[in-house]
Amino acid sequence: MKHSRRTFLKAGGSSAALLAVAGCDQLPRELRFLQGQAKGGGPFQPPGATTIDALTHALNRVAFGPRPGDYARLKKLGATPELAAVTYIEQQLNPERIDDAEGEYAVRRFETLNEPLGELFEYQDELLHNELMRGALARAVFSERQLYEVMVQFWSDHFNIDPSKGDCKWLKVADDREVIRKHALGKFPEMLRASALSPAMLWYLDGRVNRRENMAEKPNENYARELLELHTLSVHGGYTQKDVMEVARCLSGWTVRSKDQKPYFEIGKVEFQLDHHDCGDKEVLGQKISAIQSHLSKEDRARLGKKELDRILQIVTNHPSTARHLSTKLCRRFIADEPPASAVQTVAAAFTQSGGDIRATLRALFVTEEFRQQRGNKFKRPFNYIVSALRATGASTDAGMEIVDYLRRMGHAPFNYPTPDGYPEEEAPWMGTLLWRWNFALALSENKIKGTKTDVEALRKNSGGDAGLMAHLLGRKPSADESQAYHDSGAGLALMLASPAFQRC
Amino acid sequence: MSEVQTFLSGNGDERRTLVVVFLRGGADGLNIVAPLGDDGYYRARPRIAIAKKEAVPLDGFYGLNPLLKPLEIAYKDGALGVIHAAGSEDDTRSHFEAQDLMEHGGITGGGWLGRFLRAQAGVTSGPLAAVALGKAIPECLRGAPAATVLQSLDDFSLGDDRSRLTQALAKLYGLQTGILAGAGRDTLAALGRVRQLRNTAYQPAHGADYGRDEFSRGLREIARLIKARVGLQAASVDLGGWDSHFGQSTIMDPLMTRLAKGLATFYQDLGAEMKHTTVVVMTEFGRRVEENSAFGTDHGRGSVMFVMGGGIKGGRVLGKWPGLSRDVLEGPGDLPVMTNYRNVLAPILQRHGADNRLNQIFPNFTLDALPIYG
Repeated sequence: MKHSRRTFLKAGGSSAALLAVAGCDQLPRELRFLQGQAKGGGPFQPPGATTIDALTHALNRVAFGPRPGDYARLKKLGATPELAAVTYIEQQLNPERIDDAEGEYAVRRFETLNEPLGELFEYQDELLHNELMRGALARAVFSERQLYEVMVQFWSDHFNIDPSKGDCKWLKVADDREVIRKHALGKFPEMLRASALSPAMLWYLDGRVNRRENMAEKPNENYARELLELHTLSVHGGYTQKDVMEVARCLSGWTVRSKDQKPYFEIGKVEFQLDHHDCGDKEVLGQKISAIQSHLSKEDRARLGKKELDRILQIVTNHPSTARHLSTKLCRRFIADEPPASAVQTVAAAFTQSGGDIRATLRALFVTEEFRQQRGNKFKRPFNYIVSALRATGASTDAGMEIVDYLRRMGHAPFNYPTPDGYPEEEAPWMGTLLWRWNFALALSENKIKGTKTDVEALRKNSGGDAGLMAHLLGRKPSADESQAYHDSGAGLALMLASPAFQRC
Repeated sequence: MSEVQTFLSGNGDERRTLVVVFLRGGADGLNIVAPLGDDGYYRARPRIAIAKKEAVPLDGFYGLNPLLKPLEIAYKDGALGVIHAAGSEDDTRSHFEAQDLMEHGGITGGGWLGRFLRAQAGVTSGPLAAVALGKAIPECLRGAPAATVLQSLDDFSLGDDRSRLTQALAKLYGLQTGILAGAGRDTLAALGRVRQLRNTAYQPAHGADYGRDEFSRGLREIARLIKARVGLQAASVDLGGWDSHFGQSTIMDPLMTRLAKGLATFYQDLGAEMKHTTVVVMTEFGRRVEENSAFGTDHGRGSVMFVMGGGIKGGRVLGKWPGLSRDVLEGPGDLPVMTNYRNVLAPILQRHGADNRLNQIFPNFTLDALPIYG
C-alpha cells in the first residue's frame, strides 16, 4: 500500500486529528512515517532576517533546533519573533500540556525502558544500554517536549552514572526513569533525594558499601564527596575533607540488594541497615547532628538514622553555594560557556526563592537580557549537533546503532561517560570532533545511514529552493560567501550541515 | 611527496616525541611498585599487599607487581625509571580537581603540554604535532596550537573524491575567527597528511605484537606516526578506570596487565627510535595506604610515575621514600607527595626543546628538577 503525502493530508488534515481517531500505535507503519513528515511536509517560509532572531534563538537553545516548518508555524504565536519566542518558551515550560504522541511513538519499540526495576534483570545488559541510548536519541529528535528533553540531558550529566559499573547495567534504566526523567522539570530537592536513594547511584558511587559497624571501620566516602562536589555545593563551595567524612558517616547503612544476593525478587531493593550506621555525634557544614542514643528502641534508632539522610540533603540544598553552582551550570548550558555573573546571580536568587523549583529557575533564566542577547555563540556538543541535523532535515530515523556509533566516535554517546562529573558543556573539549561531524553531514545528506532517511529534494523544494534551504538550516539568510561555497561544494546540504554556522546554536 | 615536505618542519626527522600516558581514576602506586622493605606497608594492607616472594625485585627495597613483569626488560636495559611518592600539591582528593591541576600544570589557563607546544620558539607546529588517541582532547593539551583526536589512522578520512567539498569547507572555516577557525584549519590539514599515510599498512618491528585493547591500539598508532616522521611532537593516550573503592584487584589487575603489555610492546617496536622518544606515565593521585573494609582503598595522595625512553638513566627508583609510619602520613592516612610531578616533567620538556621557557610552562612554581638523566 502506498500513500502520497497529499492523500494523507487530504484524509487527515493534521497528524493530531488522525491520531485522535486512530491512536498512534494502531497506525500502519507507512502511515506513521508520513505522519512524521506531515508537520514539515509542505512548503514553508524559512527565517528571512540576516541575523538569528529571537524565535530561532529559542528553537536553538530551548529545543534541539527547528524542524522544517517549525519556525513558520511558531511565528504565528506572537506578533513579533520576540513575542512568539516568549509564548513558545512558556509552552515548553509546561510539557504536560503538550501532546506528544510522536515522541511516545518514537520510543515505543524500546520496551525495556518501561520495565519495572526487578524485571530489568531478566534482560541482557547490552540490550538495556542500547535501548537507553537509542531512546534518548529518538526522544530528542521527535518529542514535542523539547525543553523537557534538553533538561533530561542536563540532569543526566549532572547526576551522571556510568552504567558499565556493576549492577548499574540494569539499574540505570530505572534511575533514568525515576530520577532524571521524573524530576527533570520538577523540584531539585526531590530529585536530589531520589538520586541519593536511587539503586543505581548507591551502586555507582559505592553508597551500598558505606558502612561502619565499629569505630575501626572506615566509611566509604565516595558518594559523600560527589554529593558535595558535583551534585550540590561544588568543589570550592566551602566544605572541607572533614565535612565529606561526616556526610559519609551520616549516610552509612544505606545499601541496595545486589544481583548476587537472595531472594531474587528483592534485587535492587534499597534499605537502611541500622547496625551498619554510625550512630555517633556528627557535624556537617557547621550544623550539629546529635548521636543516636543506644537506650532507644531499635525502631526509634532506625527512624533517627534514616532521618540523617534528609537532614544532610536539606543542609546541602539550602547552602548558598548550591544555588550558585546550579545556576552557573544552567547559565553555561543556556547562555554562554563563560556565564555572565549578573545572570547567574538572578537565576540563583530564583532558585533560592522558589525552594529549588526548576521551572521557576529556568523561567528567570529565559527572561534575562543575557539569554536574549547571546545568540549563536554556543558550540553544539556532538549529541546536539546530530539531533539538530536530523531535525533540520526532517529525517525519519530509527535512532539506530549507526548513529550511536557516530556519537561514540565523537565521545558523546549518551550513558557512556565514565566519571561522575558528566560530559563537559564547554566547547574546547569538543573541538576535535569536526571531522566526524563532516562525515555525518555527508552520510545523512547522501542517505547512507541505515534506518535513517531524508528526502533532500523535497526539503529543498519545500523551503523554497537553495536560498530557502540555506536560510532554514542557518536560521538566517546566508552570507555571500556561504552561498558561493554552497554552490561550489557540489554537496550543498552536507556543506551547510558541516559549516561553522551549523556547529553553533 | 611535495605535501609531506610542506607539513614537516625543517628538522622534522630529528623531532623528538613525548608520549603522555594518563592513568585516570587514581592508580594505586603502592600496589604497582610495592615498598617491599617497609613493614608499614604489610601492616596497613594485610589482605591486599603484594607479597615479597611474588614481586619482581627492582632494587632490594621496591618490587614490581608481578603483573608488570613485562616492564622488567626496559628497566634492566636502563631505559625505564620509576619515581615513587610522586604527585601534585592538590589535596582535594577529587579526581576532577586533581586531574585538572595536574594537566593544567597549576591553577592556570590551558594545559602544560599545550603551553609547551606553544612555547617552542620558531618551530611551526604541523597538523599532527599533537595527537590525542581517544575521543576527546585531554586537558593537558588544551591550548595547543594544533591537536588532533583520533582512535585510529584509518578513521581519518572524509571519503574519496571530496576536493570540492573540502575546498568549500576550507573557505568557510577560513573566514572564522577564534577557536573554530583553528579547529577547522587543523582538521583539513591533518586530513591531507593522513591520506598519504593510510595507503601503507603498518608492520610493527622486532616481532612486537600489540594487544587488541584500546590502550595498546593507541600506542600502536603512536608508534606508526613516530616512524612515519610526520612531525609528531606530543601524543597522549589514557588508560582509565583505576577508581575502585571496592575489591580493587578485580578492577586494577587487568589494567596493570594492559599497562605493562602496552608499554613493553611499544618499547620493543620502537627499538632504536626510542632514543628520540620519551614516555611518561602519571596518575592524578594514589590510594590511601590502609586498605578499607571492602578489599579496596580510598582516594589518597602520592603515587608512582614511570619515565621511559631516550637518555633516561633508568633501572632505578627515584624520589625520596618517606616511610609509612603514622607521623609521616598525610591527612586521613595517605602517602605524602615527596616529588612534585612538575619536577619529573621539567627535565623531559627541557630535553624536548623547552629551552628556558619552563617557567611559562609551569608558572608560579619553583622547579627542583629530578635528575632523571643522571
